[in-house]
This record gives sequence, C-alpha cells and structure tokens, in this order.
Amino acid sequence: MTETEAYALIERYLAGDMTDQEASDFEAQLLQDPILAHRSRQFEELTGTLQQFGRRQHLKQKMAAIHADMEAETAPEILPAQPVLQSDPKWKMFWKAHATTMAVAASVAILTVFSTLFSIQLWNTMGKQQTIRYTELRREVEKIKKNQRAINRAFNQNQKTPKNEINPGAFSGTGFALTENGYFVTSYHVIKDSDSVYIENKNGNRFKVIEVYKDLDHDLAILKVTDPNFTTFGSLPYTVANTDAELGEKVYTLGFPREDMVFGEGSLSSQSGFEGDTAAYQISIPLNPGNSGGPLFDDKGNLIGVISGKQLDAQGAAFATKSAYLMSIAQQLKSDSATRVSFNRQNTLSGRARKQQLKKLKDFIYMVKVYN
Amino acid sequence: MQRAAEHTDESLIAGIRQDDDRALSYLYKLHYPMVAHFILSNSGTSDEAKDIFQEGILVFYEKIKDGTLELTCQIKTYLYSVCRRLWLKKLAEKNRFSGVIDSENFIGLEDEPVAPEETELKFSVMEQAMNQLGEPCRTLLEDFYLQARSMQDITEKFGYTNADNAKNQKYKCLMRLKKLFFAAYKTVAPAQ
Repeated sequence: MTETEAYALIERYLAGDMTDQEASDFEAQLLQDPILAHRSRQFEELTGTLQQFGRRQHLKQKMAAIHADMEAETAPEILPAQPVLQSDPKWKMFWKAHATTMAVAASVAILTVFSTLFSIQLWNTMGKQQTIRYTELRREVEKIKKNQRAINRAFNQNQKTPKNEINPGAFSGTGFALTENGYFVTSYHVIKDSDSVYIENKNGNRFKVIEVYKDLDHDLAILKVTDPNFTTFGSLPYTVANTDAELGEKVYTLGFPREDMVFGEGSLSSQSGFEGDTAAYQISIPLNPGNSGGPLFDDKGNLIGVISGKQLDAQGAAFATKSAYLMSIAQQLKSDSATRVSFNRQNTLSGRARKQQLKKLKDFIYMVKVYN
Repeated sequence: MQRAAEHTDESLIAGIRQDDDRALSYLYKLHYPMVAHFILSNSGTSDEAKDIFQEGILVFYEKIKDGTLELTCQIKTYLYSVCRRLWLKKLAEKNRFSGVIDSENFIGLEDEPVAPEETELKFSVMEQAMNQLGEPCRTLLEDFYLQARSMQDITEKFGYTNADNAKNQKYKCLMRLKKLFFAAYKTVAPAQ
C-alpha cells in the first residue's frame, strides 16, 4: 500500500465514508500495522493543524475587516478632534495643566497687593490725622539759609574775619524764668533729645542750661542755668497763678516764633485742652512753631500757663498747660533740691498798661536753642 | 449601537459558537476602546493595541470553539485581563517594562495559558510549509480543507478531467505538505 493510498483510506475512515465492515477492518489493520498507525496519526495532526490554522487565518481576516470597519466608523468623529489635541501649543497645554494653581497664585498676589495698598493708605491717614490734629510748636531752624546769609555777610564785609558765627541750633522754642536764681521753664518737647540747650533773650544774654526736671504728662521741663557768668535773672515781675483762670479771660504771650520776640493776644476760650485734657487751656492766640514753652499771662500779668501746641484742623485753637501743674512740679523740685528755690510772691505788673507790662516782661522771656 | 441591549454575554458566546460574524463584530467594537486605552496609556502604539487585542480575541474565540472556556466573570473583564497579560509579556520582551502598570486587581488568569507556545510554533511551521508549497497545491488544499469545498467543485475550478485526478493531485499535495511540515516540526513519533 503506497502512502497516497494509505492517506486516501485514512481520510475516508476519518470522514466516516466507510461502511461499518470497512471501518472495523481498517481499525484492525491500524492495530497490526504500526506504519499505518503512524501515518494515521500524522495525517490527523497535519489536517487538524491545517484546519486550525485555516480557522485562525480566517478569524484574523475577519477581525482585520472589523477593525477597518470600526476605524471607518469612528474616523469622522476622531479626525476633527485629533488636530485640536495635537496642535495644542505648549503654552496652552501648560495653561490647562496649571490653570488652577495659577489662578490661586494670582488671586493671592492680587489680594496681597490690594491689602498692602489699603493698609499703607490707612496707616498714612491715621498718622496724618495725629500730626494734623495736634502739633507741637517747636521750630526747626532754617540752618542752611542762615549759614548762607552769614557767608554773604562775610563777603560784604570785605573779607574781614567774621565774628564767631553762632550755631543757631536745630530747634528752638521759648522759655521764661521761674525763679531769680536761675530756674527756668519751657515745654518738654522743645528740649527732648537734646545734647545741649542754650537760652538767649532780646538783650543778647546767652546762658547754658541743663535739664533738672521734666514732666512728660504735662509737657513741662524745668531747666537750670549753669553758666558761670550768670548771677541772677533779676527780680521777677510776675507771679505764678495757683488757681484756674476764668473763661473769657484776656490772655497774651510773648515768644520767639522767629529771631525776634513776638507778642500774641487772645482770650481763654476753654478750660480744657486738646481732646478734653483738663490739664490744659484752650486759647485763641495765633501761634506758630517756636512759641512752645512760652508763658501765658492774664490781663494782670499773672502767669497762668505754658504754651504747648495747637490743633491744626480747628481755627484758632491753641493749647497751654495750666500753671497749677507747673506749680506742683516746682513744689516737688523745691522739696527735692538742695539749692534754694524761692518764688516771687509779688506781682509788679498788675494795674499797669499792657505796653508797660511787656517792657518789664521781655527781659525774662528767652529763646531756647536746642542742639543735637 | 442600538443593538447593544440585546447582546448579553451569553448571547455573544452563543453567537460566536455559531460562527455569527455580527456577534464577533459587536464584541470587537465594544471592547476594543478599553484595551486600546490601556495599551496607549502604557507606552504602546495603536498598532500594538490592535495586535494585542486581536490576539486576546483569538484566545477567547478559540476557547469558545474548543469548549474549554470557563468564564467566571464578564467577557469585558476576561478580555481586559488577557490583553493586559499579553501586553505585560510583550513589554517584558521589549525590556521596556519597569515597575507595576496598575495596581488594580484583575481576575487572575495566571494559571491559564493564554496561547501555548506549542500551538504557536505549530502554526508558524504550518504557515511556512504552506508558503513553501506553491500553487496550485496551496489553493487546492485550502479549498478542500479550509473552505470544505467538494471535490467536484475543485475539479471544475482547477480544470481536472475527473474527480479522481483531482483527488490524486490533492493527496500528492498533502504528501508534500506533510514532508515540509514534519521536517520542521517533529512531534509524532517516527514509525518503528
């Protein structure tokens, strides 16, 4: 039996084309003939593999067709979307990825900027309000201007050696004698932060003073003349009033808002000071920087207060610390100090005309020059 | 996709068993996007996705045909697991796989051979043998064994004088295929 014949037989057997007789014969033959059995197995494997392979190929073709079909179906949907995805520029992708973070950062930044601006604004207005409403009347000296003037003068004098030019100091205010033996009163804010303080009156008397007592609450300072040339202020013409002055009292002051002494007159407009401060009077005297520390006299020439400042946002509202407080610290000074502190008890001004009063007074009013 | 509601997993499997092309097509189109998404998001290309998915379908399909499919979950899950495992294997071969792709737990099919190496080898040998066989043998065998055409049809198509001639020709072709096939693939014990 050739191989071809054997295959034909095997195929017929496997396909079930044989009659029962033939099939049983073939089966018997298979058992006896190992070559036939081997061929049969080979045939089965070969055709089986071939068929499986064929099925698989067929399936693959079908799937390829399905895939192509599917792509054709979805293509119109995908295609318009694809270019958008791919053509997204980098910044756009970055933006999409970080939009939230950036939004948060931006809002924080904006918030910070505006709150900073707002608080600066608020702070400024608060500061302004304070400075605007109340100002201390010490004068910042126009140093440069004066130096310039001194130089010009020197040239005009044909280059003669100029007189020892006196340093005008950084600040100036006004002050007045408290006792004959050299105690002197001014506002504390005039001399604060000072290195050295000099006082100078209209006659050209110039003395060095030192601070011996200060009262920050009532803005008062008591100084003492330490100059060796100093002997006495002379007999004081005024007395210090112990009691509060009456409302409407005619009052006046002498001060140095500029290089020369300036007289200012008005009335006592309130018995309390800035923001209801009962330690001060409100007075209606036009005052300027440099008036601070000046004496406030009533009509009879009694010292009733010490000029301290004025309110900027109100018309004609200036303030002076009541003399009662000056007296109380003077009393303390008296008890503390070893040196003699005696107050003048006799007012020599009362009953005199204003001009006469001023003539007597002017020797006791000094310009306070502060150096620092 | 209006038909979607009609297709349950059971009806799909039944359809595939009966060689219903619509069932296969529906299955393919329904699950391809899922697998494609998985592979595309794990350093694969769309061509690779297509290959892997078709391989997965093939496994599924042949298991249905063999009747060896034991489906303990949805087809979707099964296909996903198979394709995932195929892709991991491929990645490992490409040495591109590093670390875990996803930590989700899928039905373990690890003990189930997806596509036995043996069968793969057999098929590749068969493909080579068929290619070497040449015409008209190849077409003749394909017509008879794969498309199950009758000898009468084949006789007419190839212009043989009668069916016996055609049959003889077929056996000759089968002999040649046998030689080519078993030359490269030897499993059957040789005759003693």
